[in-house]
Amino acid sequence: MVEAAEPSPESAVGHIDEDAIVRERTGLAWVGGSVLDLLGAARAMYSVFVKTLYYSVRGVRRPGAVAQQMYEVGNKSLVFLCVVMGFIGMILVFQAGLQAKRVVPDLSLLGATFLELLVRDLAASISALMLATRVGAGIAAEIGSMVVTEQVDALRMCAADPVDYLIVPRFKASIVMTTVLVVLAAGVAFTTGMLTGYAFFDINPRTFVNMSMVDAGDLTIGLAKCVAYGAAIPVVSGYCGLSTFGGSEGVGWATTRAVVNASLAVIILNFFISGAGFLIFG
Amino acid sequence: MIELSGITKSFDRPVLRGVNLRVPDGCLYGLIGPGASGKSVLLKIIVGLIRPDAGTVTIRGRDVFAMSDLELQEFRKQIGMLFQNNALFDFMTVADNIAFPLRRLFNLPEDEVRQRVAERLAVVSLPGFEDRLPSGLSGGQKKRVGVARATVAQAPIVLYDEPAAGLDPVTSQKIFDLLRAEQRAAGATVIMVSSDLDRLLTVTDRVGMMYRGQLIFDGTTQQAQESTDPYVHQFVHGIPEGPL
Amino acid sequence: MMAGSVVTRALQPFAALGAFFITTSEVVGGMGVMFGRIISRLVRFAFDRSELLKNLYKMGVKSVPIVVVTALFTGGIMVIQAAPLVQRYGAHGLLGWGAGFGTLREIGPLLTALMISGRVGANNTAELGTMVVTEQIDALRALAIDPISFLIVPRFIGIVTTLFLSTVFADALALFGAAYAGTGILGVEPMVFYNGLTSGLLGLGDVFHGLIKSVVFGIVIALASCQFGITTSGGAPGVGRAVNSTVVVSAAGIFVLDYIVSFAIG
Repeated sequence: MVEAAEPSPESAVGHIDEDAIVRERTGLAWVGGSVLDLLGAARAMYSVFVKTLYYSVRGVRRPGAVAQQMYEVGNKSLVFLCVVMGFIGMILVFQAGLQAKRVVPDLSLLGATFLELLVRDLAASISALMLATRVGAGIAAEIGSMVVTEQVDALRMCAADPVDYLIVPRFKASIVMTTVLVVLAAGVAFTTGMLTGYAFFDINPRTFVNMSMVDAGDLTIGLAKCVAYGAAIPVVSGYCGLSTFGGSEGVGWATTRAVVNASLAVIILNFFISGAGFLIFG
Repeated sequence: MIELSGITKSFDRPVLRGVNLRVPDGCLYGLIGPGASGKSVLLKIIVGLIRPDAGTVTIRGRDVFAMSDLELQEFRKQIGMLFQNNALFDFMTVADNIAFPLRRLFNLPEDEVRQRVAERLAVVSLPGFEDRLPSGLSGGQKKRVGVARATVAQAPIVLYDEPAAGLDPVTSQKIFDLLRAEQRAAGATVIMVSSDLDRLLTVTDRVGMMYRGQLIFDGTTQQAQESTDPYVHQFVHGIPEGPL
Repeated sequence: MMAGSVVTRALQPFAALGAFFITTSEVVGGMGVMFGRIISRLVRFAFDRSELLKNLYKMGVKSVPIVVVTALFTGGIMVIQAAPLVQRYGAHGLLGWGAGFGTLREIGPLLTALMISGRVGANNTAELGTMVVTEQIDALRALAIDPISFLIVPRFIGIVTTLFLSTVFADALALFGAAYAGTGILGVEPMVFYNGLTSGLLGLGDVFHGLIKSVVFGIVIALASCQFGITTSGGAPGVGRAVNSTVVVSAAGIFVLDYIVSFAIG
């Protein structure tokens, strides 16, 4: 943001040189440098997370801000998520049915297994990857534009901490709406899966809808994932937005980083929550 | 009194190299200099938005970078600022933009806020613009809303980054005269960055010139106009040939 | 008047639905036209070689770290998800088959495509979008340089190649991660895992199934990112919006085509 303040001949070049800092490093130095950069970013994100938690409790309450963000998150992602999850349900049942037939001829447990997998992992994780894309990119683009147009500086001049003013409402809204959208997404995916099972493998919908395999452990893991992803996406992408610099290419780059980092955060959280869930519930 | 000593700051390459600057109370100080000489960064350092690599900023006897976040928030009640790109919040109406500092920093009754906003809009000759959105305004109108927001809290210290950029000569002169009149009336300390030297120098008390991250001149407006320093002479009089 | 507004409100969902279909058709149509233009340059080999090399480096080599991280974690997640089933049926020998099947046919290409769409596709839109809002594209046209040959075709080839190679790489790494996660979590020896992979239930067909998908996904990502990049308008916020649209359309396109391709090639 600072460099944009005084246009200089160097900054007029349009190409994004995101790796300008690591350009000179080669071999091991590159690996080490990347690891250090990554750790630095992780530490900065952690501090944004702590600040977000602090302001979630102690911040200035603005009526309507959270509701408006909930509308943004939910309304913008609804159609997109339904389309994606509908296709996911069809693909998975189709592929699994095809393969399972090679090993076991009996497909009666396909629905039950599919439902367990949806509840425990797929509904939350695939939805979260989509939300990381949709919501994460949106948050970073919005906050990044505010940074390069100095609106964030203006906020700070008026005693409004950007974490409190911009990230906290998105954080609260995202946790609630991620959970709601995941439940909906699971429903959509299961329905299209059921239809696929009926159309391609002649599985009776009554056989397919079988909740016997879903237990409290699966529900707990699924819910834990919803909350963790819902919390991680706005924090990671908000951090990427706030650390924007440069003009329009800076906003583009911040948005890109938000999508990549939020998706990575989802995958890494998934690994640890699934692992912990397996160790606790078996 | 705003006092800067030894301010140094680099972003990849050095932007400020040891700036020392004193702005006395009640002075309208003009900061001039060619592009990329570090003027905007200096303004942001003065209000504590950017932390310098070295050096101190003292405003009214208090060290800006020794304050805690909360103290700094409280301290900023005394400072108004106009940003180079106006920095109007594009999700708020014009009225909400102007009222924002009042609502965040001071606990005023709502009808007084509304009254102050209407008064400010009248002063920048945009009466009745309360419910417009910034996206629907022209560049000059945005600038004037920015001026209204910077001055609404009647802060004793006001910083303007390019208050007249993108305005026609007449409006531009009006804005400068207005800012000067308000500064006189309130006895405020003002720092103004502008490239519109012809008009800026009609209102300033003192002038400082930045060049390549250093303050190379500091004196009264008259001294600046009569300076024989080759850089200052060339810049103030807009001569194409010279050391710049 | 009142009745009119009630009717209008009642029709609103339909209007929204219609608007959704119109925008979708616009996007798909725009991408189709773009594809045609790219093909017409490709068959004449009319594109800039040095831009191509630069983009291959920037897109391909620079994406290696996130592909590695994604693939290793994905392999681990596959095993963790399969673990309760494997334990329930005591089917330790089938772990390799299950993980291999899921990774090669679906998860490998899918997750790699999503990550590359974020890393490369979005970046590409940001770059092109910035060039548009800073009038660099107009400058190219003024110099009588065809922006499609000079900018778009090298990026198109770059993205498709990057995604294909990354998928090969990610498949291997994910299976590697899965094998060691299997040892750590279920105590399945890596050799047992590899036997499960190569026992005949899986064939080259499954590998190609995934690789064909990766090419299709690459084309979608490339078209979406170039299309949204080149039609950017509205300064810095416009670039942000263009990037946002790119990743959303890429993701939706990837899942829809995943189904169609899976179904078409069985």
